[in-house]
Amino acid sequence: MGGSGSRLSKELLVEYQDLTFLTKQEILLAHRRFCELLPQEHRSVEESLQARVSLEQILSLPELKANPFKERICRVFSTSPTRDSLSFEDFLDLLSVFSDTATPDIKSHYAFRIFDFDDDGTLNREDLSQLVNCLTGEGEDTRLSASEMKQLIDNVSNGAGLGWAGPGSRREGLGFGLKLSLSQILEESDIDRDGTINLSEFQHVISRSPDFASSFKIVL
Amino acid sequence: MLRQWSVQASGEPEPEPAGEELWEQEMERLCSSQEPVRVLPYAMVDKRFIRLREPEGVKTSCWQQWRRRQQTAGRRLGEAGALYEIGLGPRLGASGPTCCSPQASSARNPSPTSPSFASCLLLNLLTLLLTTASSCCPLTWLRPPDRGPALNFSECLAHGGNSAPRAHLNPAFNNTYLFYGAYRAGPESSSIYSIRLAYLLSPLACLLLCFCGILRMVKGLPQKMFLGQDYRSPLSAKVFSSWDFCIQGQEAATIKKHEISNEFKVELEEGRHLLMVQHQTRAQRACHLLTYLRVNILIGLLVVGAISAIFWATKYSQDNKEVPVLFLLLQYLPPGVHRPGQLSGSLLFVFLVQLENYPPNTEVNLTLIWAVSYLLCFGRNKTSCESYGYNACDYQCWENSVGVELYKLSIFNFLLTVAFTFLVSLPRRLLVERFSGRFWAWLDREEFLLPKNVLDIVEGQTVTWMGLFYCPLLPLLNSIFVFLTFYIKKYTLLRNSRASPRPFRASSSIFFFQLVLILGLLLAAVPLGYVVSSIRSSWDCGLFTNYSAPWQVVPELVALRLPPPSQRILHYLGSHAFSFPLLILLSLVLTVCVSQSQASARAIRGLRKQLVWQVQEKWHLVDDLSRLISEPGSGDSLGPESPHSRGSRPRSFCPGFPCPGSPGPRAPRPEPSLEDPAGLCGVRVPVRSCRFPSGSEL
Repeated sequence: MGGSGSRLSKELLVEYQDLTFLTKQEILLAHRRFCELLPQEHRSVEESLQARVSLEQILSLPELKANPFKERICRVFSTSPTRDSLSFEDFLDLLSVFSDTATPDIKSHYAFRIFDFDDDGTLNREDLSQLVNCLTGEGEDTRLSASEMKQLIDNVSNGAGLGWAGPGSRREGLGFGLKLSLSQILEESDIDRDGTINLSEFQHVISRSPDFASSFKIVL
Repeated sequence: MLRQWSVQASGEPEPEPAGEELWEQEMERLCSSQEPVRVLPYAMVDKRFIRLREPEGVKTSCWQQWRRRQQTAGRRLGEAGALYEIGLGPRLGASGPTCCSPQASSARNPSPTSPSFASCLLLNLLTLLLTTASSCCPLTWLRPPDRGPALNFSECLAHGGNSAPRAHLNPAFNNTYLFYGAYRAGPESSSIYSIRLAYLLSPLACLLLCFCGILRMVKGLPQKMFLGQDYRSPLSAKVFSSWDFCIQGQEAATIKKHEISNEFKVELEEGRHLLMVQHQTRAQRACHLLTYLRVNILIGLLVVGAISAIFWATKYSQDNKEVPVLFLLLQYLPPGVHRPGQLSGSLLFVFLVQLENYPPNTEVNLTLIWAVSYLLCFGRNKTSCESYGYNACDYQCWENSVGVELYKLSIFNFLLTVAFTFLVSLPRRLLVERFSGRFWAWLDREEFLLPKNVLDIVEGQTVTWMGLFYCPLLPLLNSIFVFLTFYIKKYTLLRNSRASPRPFRASSSIFFFQLVLILGLLLAAVPLGYVVSSIRSSWDCGLFTNYSAPWQVVPELVALRLPPPSQRILHYLGSHAFSFPLLILLSLVLTVCVSQSQASARAIRGLRKQLVWQVQEKWHLVDDLSRLISEPGSGDSLGPESPHSRGSRPRSFCPGFPCPGSPGPRAPRPEPSLEDPAGLCGVRVPVRSCRFPSGSEL
């Protein structure tokens, strides 16, 4: 329980440095923070490597508390069958992906998984709605109205089934902002016009945004 | 071995043989690639497993580790430098520069007007420094001679002037450095420091310095102006990358959410407006044009009316100076008419511009233009003393009077700001909070109107610039006022106001504020130039009593101090023979700049077309691929690069998520997923044919 007792062994540190993007100091700091979440009597090195911390405790970390995607982050990195707890190695994985030396590829891969709220492997309309709601918050004045959301996301009936129909009733039927809605998220990102965004399309979109890597970062 | 692992881990039944084969192929691909294990998007358990299967393992050598550490340190240094450059370094506090992206830091300082206040304060302080260094300090050192002889009153009466007393100016302040009249100097000689020249040139140098300073602060035109009205920035990238994961506090998160929400709303509203404009019929367009003309004529009449009111008010106050009771009131009549006029004008402008249905940004910008042009017309009147009918005999030191007027205007504006905050906004907020009734609910808190607040800054600054020649220490007063006004406005914003329901784009408004500030500067320089070059100074006070115009000091000094060749050069520079070639050169430079920007706009249009073609090429490829893949027998030739079946993998690998590159949801599709190998790492291949989007739709 003392200072020397809770240090990781050298081999383990080297292994973690190989398997993650973290430096030695970051791994030790992560271990210390992880141990603080454990009950007092289980803070030895061996137990900390085997123990799992519940989601609520991880969500109480100040780095994650204000994040609207905190539950998704924890679920994505959790390796337990019920996906409601994180081990130390899951925690290291989390910090590795969010560190500033991680490659943009791995960041965009995990960003895709975090934004995929229903875990089906693609971002469909509901995922995008939930994403936008998380971004804009729950307040009455900040939430986008239904029509604005539709304008932002909606392309499904036109893009998914029939390809691009000519100008006609279908377009007018969906409302005033329809032509614009056709030019919003799904049009810009959905290359194969199936109404959903898959991983490679997502990575393609993200690659056009230069500040993604610097904002997709959590450092203890 | 894989099977053992899966059975040991979770006791699941054996996976399908085909999926197993795919997974084996994936494992072989991973093991044979030279990538370090850490870039693989798997859990730690899986990465360890993959590493163990590698023949030698791609273990990072010490050299690579050292390089990685150096790169990390270099990148962090660069980020810290960037943060210091945008002025946030000292405020980062405990979290340290490495944790925060500039986005997170800016989320803590959301005010769009704080750069405006800071830049104004800086300009004022620089101006003050220059003036003090060039005029006040040397004057104090060199100890000028006493006042010259006063104008003989009998001469004045002979001219038929009205001998009204100069009672409006407190004699105590008259002789201080606050006013023009206190500056004295002996006749010019060739050896000592010429205070006249310094006094003359320092306002001009200050204006030039401020002009360069504002130009430097202007970050450039907003992109929209180059890319055309119908260009819409890609929202999808914004949606996916706008959240900053560095944000830690709840308030910062709320602010960021507000920011994101506003941005989306502004974009969507502009898009809707664009659509509406595109779908207007001819009749609607004509109607719109008529309304536009009507509203602008109304605004023009309003401006003219307000200017005449101020002119009348000033004339009335000057004509009725001998009535002592109303004296103080009349002193403040001109600013008193000007200020409510401006206030009601701003509100009316906002209302009228809304009538025209402009998109939100244009509204804010137009309001700024109209109100400032109104202000500047007023300001121009002030410095031309003939327009007030000042008689040289009435005012032995008319420059001091002008200085007094400007000081009064400045002080009055500041007092009005303070009074408005504490006597109107604050009681309004307290009453609205205390009482609840339909009237109070309708009244609500004051709405924070950005144009009006930004205008206050521009107005104060323009008055300062106009007064540089007559009241050299006005920048000091203005600096103090700007400093205090910032905290008062911040208090009003945070406590007494509610947010404006109309979202606007702060970045283009800040650009416009800077543009309007430059406009104010240029229009303040015009009367200054006129006065310096053409108006005769008063007989009795100031530095230029013996000159026909203040500018005449310069030729005199040139003749006195410079050697003849330099004099000839300067004469040439000031003559027509030089100015015409200079004009021609400037026209050439302007032509080059204009044609360059047109060429850039053409290039941008060409690039947009190329972008459309590239997307169409992608569609061609997708179409070809779908044809190829749907042909029987071709499925085997394309080896899958990644496994795609969820059930084929043991539970310990990325539980709950298909492997990278897997196709989409189990939608009811005729073909099973195994026959649809995602050869291109996740591109869903629709079997139906796809129509290419036309250029106009993109």
